[in-house]
Amino acid sequence: MTQALWWPPRFIRPHRAIHPTREGWWCLLAAVGLGLTAVNSGNNLLYLLESMLLGLVIVSGILSEYSMRRLRLSPVLPEDVFAGRPAVVGARILNTKRRVPARSITLETVGTERTISVPRLAPGAERLVTWEHTFVARGRQRLPGVRVATRFPFGLFVKAGPVELDTEVLVFPAVTPVTGERPGPATGDGVSAARRRGRGSDLHNLREYRDGDDPRLIHWRVSAKTGATMVRELAADTTDDVCVLLRGRGLASPRLESGLSRAASLAVHFLRAGAAVSLTGPGVRVPPGRGREQARRVLTALALYAPAATPDTASVSGFDAEPAGRVVTVDLD
Amino acid sequence: MAAEQALRLAAYVVVAVGITSLGVADLIGTVEMALAGVVLVAGGWVRDRIARASTLDPVLTAAVAAFAVVDVLYLAARVFDALVRFLVLLVLLRLLTARNSRECRDAGLLAFFMPVASAAVSLGVWFSFVFVGFLVAGTMLLVLGHELAEAERSGGPAAARALPAGRGMLTLGLAAAGGSLLVTLALFFVIPRIGEATLALTAPSRRMIVGFSDRVELGAIGELETDSSVAMRIRVGDVSLTPHLINELRWRGVVLDYFDGHAWTIARRRRAPLGRAALSEAEGRGVPGAGLLLTQEVFLEPIGTDTLFAAPRVLRARVPVGTALVDDMGALSMSHAASRLEYTVESIVGGRALERLSPTAHTRFLQLPPVAPRIATLAQEVTASSVGPAAAAQALTEYLRRDFKYTLSLERTTTLPPLEEFLFARRAGNCEYFASALAVMLRSLGIPARVVTGFQRGEWNPYGEYFLVRMSDAHAWVEAYIAGSGWLTLDPSPRDESVTAAWAGASLFLDALRLRWHRYIENWSSHDQLAAAATVRQAAGAWRNWREHWPRWPQLWPWAALAAMAVVLTWSLRRRGWSPRSRDRRAPHFYRRALRTLSRHGLRPHLGETAREFAGRVGDATPAHAPGFARITAAYEAVRFGARRLPSAELAEIEGCVRALAR
Repeated sequence: MTQALWWPPRFIRPHRAIHPTREGWWCLLAAVGLGLTAVNSGNNLLYLLESMLLGLVIVSGILSEYSMRRLRLSPVLPEDVFAGRPAVVGARILNTKRRVPARSITLETVGTERTISVPRLAPGAERLVTWEHTFVARGRQRLPGVRVATRFPFGLFVKAGPVELDTEVLVFPAVTPVTGERPGPATGDGVSAARRRGRGSDLHNLREYRDGDDPRLIHWRVSAKTGATMVRELAADTTDDVCVLLRGRGLASPRLESGLSRAASLAVHFLRAGAAVSLTGPGVRVPPGRGREQARRVLTALALYAPAATPDTASVSGFDAEPAGRVVTVDLD
Repeated sequence: MAAEQALRLAAYVVVAVGITSLGVADLIGTVEMALAGVVLVAGGWVRDRIARASTLDPVLTAAVAAFAVVDVLYLAARVFDALVRFLVLLVLLRLLTARNSRECRDAGLLAFFMPVASAAVSLGVWFSFVFVGFLVAGTMLLVLGHELAEAERSGGPAAARALPAGRGMLTLGLAAAGGSLLVTLALFFVIPRIGEATLALTAPSRRMIVGFSDRVELGAIGELETDSSVAMRIRVGDVSLTPHLINELRWRGVVLDYFDGHAWTIARRRRAPLGRAALSEAEGRGVPGAGLLLTQEVFLEPIGTDTLFAAPRVLRARVPVGTALVDDMGALSMSHAASRLEYTVESIVGGRALERLSPTAHTRFLQLPPVAPRIATLAQEVTASSVGPAAAAQALTEYLRRDFKYTLSLERTTTLPPLEEFLFARRAGNCEYFASALAVMLRSLGIPARVVTGFQRGEWNPYGEYFLVRMSDAHAWVEAYIAGSGWLTLDPSPRDESVTAAWAGASLFLDALRLRWHRYIENWSSHDQLAAAATVRQAAGAWRNWREHWPRWPQLWPWAALAAMAVVLTWSLRRRGWSPRSRDRRAPHFYRRALRTLSRHGLRPHLGETAREFAGRVGDATPAHAPGFARITAAYEAVRFGARRLPSAELAEIEGCVRALAR
């Protein structure tokens, strides 16, 4: 309510911030001094010079507005952003004006005070500008906003638009190189004997045919024997499977972030080695998978891991009764 | 030209304009101006020497500071003059010791205070030229300074040094200057003129002139009659004056009543503020044949007199500051000698005021010095056949006009008193001799008379529609009191008024420009702002009236709606890229240019020939142009049929191909 009383409504609030430069302050100071002298002396020629100064200020405002208007900014973000690692973020700036070029445009990143100059942008032209930014923490983070500013045409004032591009970015936990870990049968951490369905070559089970089953999997001999159409279920090839198991909740633990970082590093390491990686932990389930998309799934789950939101005990029900392949345990507590 | 060089040039121009403004305003002398010019012209050489020996900077700065102190204490007549010289030295020092474009620009910006200083004491249309020159050069300076700073910010000093001052930069600077000029003029007329001039900065009077003071020597006005400079400009209100009235029009100044044989003076000057009581409107209009009300807007140059000139029988006057005073003989004046002054006077012309002279006043206007009796005898002889004082006055006037010559060579050839010499020996003189002779002869006949100094009507300027009155129009004449008719104006001088007719039209046009500058720039006041606002309001009222009458023509509404729809439709289509010549315009600009270039070589696309076929034919005809035109054709197809928007780099490459076709 107080803000509503003191803050002007949006439609009359200026949408651009204007700050005089050093020369601009001199210009304003001269205008004030000259104005006082003109009023005191009644000399119309001083009024004329005063009008000239004010006219320059007004024309500066008009031209800078023409230069800045109808500029469209869109964010350009990398696919994977890791905490603690510099990421190249960018913005695509498009001049949608049909005749007037945008001149002396500066992109200012809020907070880091980094400036990127775009001297001239022709009508209809587009320019990609990039800069490095390091996100300190994992999770949903906001990209530092970018403000379009200009000193055009006289360098007397800096006119800045509203902050744009302060979009949300998902930051993965920090990933560090892992040494000494290779996918394959477990040697110490424990190997699960349990088998699971998959697309391997060994027979896992026989069951009745359901709509949608591959006809090639029909076991004709057994079907002939039983009189019902039976299909083969194949066992997954789990020799290279790795399950990253998060142990503990990590609630208020100093090891939480390092543990998540370790889990992410292991998952990325095994995936790069060609293994199928799954993730299991309190409130976290990522089924096994390979490749880049699986890495994103695992990293996303780790990035969004919130200890307070996890259930009290880690349930091991879900897509699989027991994790297949090698289990790598990471302690969060 | 590199942008750095262009900026330096603009800074030099700005400083040169500033110094010129000081020189024209007499704030610095010719020698100082010449020295500053030499320093500016040789600036490059001096700058190079100083740049090599940077230790000279503090030495020069100290020298300038020391000179400023000495100037203030011992040399300058006024502190203001010393400050002006200090400003000039400071700007020149800053300009010549500037090591980069930013310092050079700062020197130019510092020069802004030069026209400010000259504005404080300037009165002249030349200031408009200085102002426009300064605005254009200053705007260019700001634009170039900004572009260089931006280049340095984005690419470092090397990028700034390599930045060219292209046509775009020049266009931008000129457009910004033009826009600034328009906004400046709009602001100038709108900024409210508030407050009184408590710190009056006015130009000093040009000089105190003779002829319009309390004492006028015989022959004094003759000195003015060779001076063709402008004394004042007078605009008269919208009134239809008869040719007779126009010919008789004079601008009355000082009225003199006492003659000592050599000079006319005012015996007892009693002045009072001019109010409505001075000459009531009832008196002016209530009497049959009272004449016409003539409004005069007078622009008086600084001629160094406190007299306000106006057509006789002043009804009321409005002056910008202070009060208009009127003496007991109806002469207007200010309380002090003003510089350039604009005032408005309303007079009643063509009629006669029925004024009764008291016995004291009667005696006052019959005063005579001990003059030779033969003057009175001559007056009686001339008026022997006249019946009544009016006829006698006319006879004497005609006598002087007819039998005497007008001359400006007033050398004394006898030892006689001046008036006797004029009447009986030389028989030639200037207007004061004629007026004095007539006044003395009238007084010798018992007719009250007084001498008036002022100006003749002047030259009509058709461009500005005003009377242009020069110093050479200074004049003296006589007012004689005739019982029952009041004061009659009598002009005995056989003076030829065509002396100013030789002025060319161009000069009159320039003078009209000058008047407009004085009227609408130098003298623009809150009163004018109110008048302008009233005009706007009146126009708005007229528009409302027009709108009220508009519904009376209901048959026009459908047409208006149709026209509005057509405008909206056209605008909408044009936004989508349609135009009446859309068939031609669908081809991109670079392809049209390429076709025009090839047509000059005799290669034109045939009817039905595709672009690619035409490109093949061009390749056969001019193999050198084949790759370039093939590139242009490919781009044309991409734009025309693929709706592709070419990036600027590719467009530049295509433009290069088009230019190559012309070679």
